[in-house]
Amino acid sequence: MKPTINHKQFKTPIESLVKRLIERKSNSNNSHTKLYSSLIMVALLAGCSATTTIDEYRPSDEPIELNAGENVVVLGRRDAGHYETDRDFINCVSNRMRGADIGVLPEQQFIDSIYPWFEPRTAPKGLPRLKRLMQDPLVKGQVEKQSVRYLVWLDGSTQTLDQGGSISCAIGPGGGGCFGFAQWDKLSVYEAIVWDMTNLQEMGRLRVDSEGTSYLIGAVAPIPLLTPVKSDACSSLGNQLKSFFTEQ
Amino acid sequence: MLKNYLSKTVLKRSLALILLAILSGCSSSASVRIDQEFPTVLAKPKAISATVVFDEAFATYIAQPNKKTVIDIGAGQVKLLSNAFAGLFEEVEFVSSLEESAGENSLVIIPSVREVQGSTPSENYLNVFEVWIKYSLEIQTADGETIDSWFMPAYGKTPDAFMASKSRAIEEASIIALRDAGAKLMLDFYRIPAIYGWMMEQKILEESE
Repeated sequence: MKPTINHKQFKTPIESLVKRLIERKSNSNNSHTKLYSSLIMVALLAGCSATTTIDEYRPSDEPIELNAGENVVVLGRRDAGHYETDRDFINCVSNRMRGADIGVLPEQQFIDSIYPWFEPRTAPKGLPRLKRLMQDPLVKGQVEKQSVRYLVWLDGSTQTLDQGGSISCAIGPGGGGCFGFAQWDKLSVYEAIVWDMTNLQEMGRLRVDSEGTSYLIGAVAPIPLLTPVKSDACSSLGNQLKSFFTEQ
Repeated sequence: MLKNYLSKTVLKRSLALILLAILSGCSSSASVRIDQEFPTVLAKPKAISATVVFDEAFATYIAQPNKKTVIDIGAGQVKLLSNAFAGLFEEVEFVSSLEESAGENSLVIIPSVREVQGSTPSENYLNVFEVWIKYSLEIQTADGETIDSWFMPAYGKTPDAFMASKSRAIEEASIIALRDAGAKLMLDFYRIPAIYGWMMEQKILEESE
């Protein structure tokens, strides 16, 4: 079977909105003023949009076989020293997948049921170790009892890369306020690897990179213009993982 | 007039409460108690009987890794290690002093805490809270002969989150460190050379394999 390697760059919702506004203008006789004010507003918000890139590798374009009653578990890698794949992100991706009628077991429930074999110290990092672990009848029995067919390992973090500007706030008897301008870049990089727990093989992997800049404008009141970098990474990764298991 | 004054007072008090709630999230001191239940270990115990001594110092251990952090891990570590030892030995007796033991089991294990360390993002320059627990396991035969004094380190970390309280983060990291202690014990106990040698002597390995 020929493997498939895909590289996709996703348009953010803001970019799609600009496109739709321009298309609508060309189909209607509304005044230019309305269009320009909308475009200015959108341009302001566009500064807060994230650029997300997804690279995927899988043996074929066909959805992965997932029978009725079989479950998927999304687990975070937590063995790196300087960061930790956070539980909120795992929950976010799991919820995205649940939306497509895929049975997704809660991460902590699975880890507790199989304790201590999926703790940061003991979790299998590769297929040879997984194969050895699944030779233990107790572990195999617990995996089968919960009908876990696939494991999705998520590894990555969201980091602040660069910060600039300054903002200061003051308060006095006459009132208070914030003045200045601050900006920061965030980068989310996550990798997902799908393991088949029945055939003990890798079914594919995905990598998502999401980057964006957020701003804080101090004009008496602080006005935050935040880029949902992590949220974009979650939705892109969740949707792409969904396409692994379901027909799109 | 009175109504106006009252509404201003209520508004001021509400604002003060909100400010207090926000500032409590930024509090630099933490005092936590770990006494939650831990999952049962998934392992087949070996045909060995053991007595585990959780003395009072161990069962009520309160760690103070630094001036601003207090972690009461006594109850938590007893629950965790009770589970783990039950997964290692077919027969296990838990006592609070060696005198309480009937002396019929082939191994005696006395765990103790050597040290607990903690670090916060401001100390380690990483976005994580960390907790290290260093255990020592005194392992003896039924006759009181020392087989080994095993050093068992455990580590837990939890990511820093915006506006999250330090106490919650330290608590999480301590729970993860305790779970790691259980994992370390299950993974490495029978790999301790002295224990392996003792099992060979007692012909326990051949029987359990």
